[in-house]
Amino acid sequence: MAESRQSEALRYTRIFDAPRELVFRCMLEPEHLTHFWGPVGMSTPLDGITVDPRPGGVFETVMVADSGSGSYTMRAVYDEIVEPERISWTDAGSGMRSVSAFVDLGDGRTEVTIEQRNAPAAFGEEQARAGFSSSLDRFSAYVKGVHAAGAA
Amino acid sequence: MPTAVDEHLDAAFAALADPTRRAIVARLARGDAIVTDLAEPFAMTLPAISKHLKVLERSGLITRSRHAQFRPCHLEREPLDAALAWIEDARREWRDRFDKLDAHLRELQADAEPAKTAKTSKKPTRRRRDHA
Repeated sequence: MAESRQSEALRYTRIFDAPRELVFRCMLEPEHLTHFWGPVGMSTPLDGITVDPRPGGVFETVMVADSGSGSYTMRAVYDEIVEPERISWTDAGSGMRSVSAFVDLGDGRTEVTIEQRNAPAAFGEEQARAGFSSSLDRFSAYVKGVHAAGAA
Repeated sequence: MPTAVDEHLDAAFAALADPTRRAIVARLARGDAIVTDLAEPFAMTLPAISKHLKVLERSGLITRSRHAQFRPCHLEREPLDAALAWIEDARREWRDRFDKLDAHLRELQADAEPAKTAKTSKKPTRRRRDHA
């Protein structure tokens, strides 16, 4: 059962024009996370971010909809923190694991790759927690709505 | 408790984790095919391909007619679309997050620029970290 959950659902890579140490800190420190963590249309106030950067430590973020229509709390536990190369955490309720890898490209730029595993279980859990609809279509519509609101 | 949707997605992701199976799914997206046709582009024995097809079948991504002589494989769009929609949403979330991070990093570095000669940077965090 555990093995069937190990399939990688997502790999996402981005190159940032910034040194690796700085990018790494941005992904780990509340003072930085507050600037970018929430999806478009949501913000992540500093007082809603908890980071205990060690294996087994808490990673929690409360994201608040800009429209004032609600908030969503992500609760996770760090699995591994290897400065400045890798951060991984597992969603406390669902078991979805996210691994962020930081590669110094040698020219002042940093490549960050996100891998997400155990995604489907997380999907259901996230929905349940946030009180979203249990249907895939409505979840998708919700996300699109959030984005439309952010773009307006 | 996992719902039926979760279990289907679980199975779909597990099935799609393998490159051969992804190639089979891509081939079937163009139309139904029998095992020997599916095996043709791969340097694989028929039993090896059949094993992949069984995984795909169990995941619900493909079906095979039980009675037809050649048992053509058929791609089921619904579970595939569900898996792809999940991936698309997760990807969008990270894309947005990284767009914002990119802007944040530019601001940080623009702020730090004038203070570069002086050793006092305006970077907002100077906390000690104990995780090393």
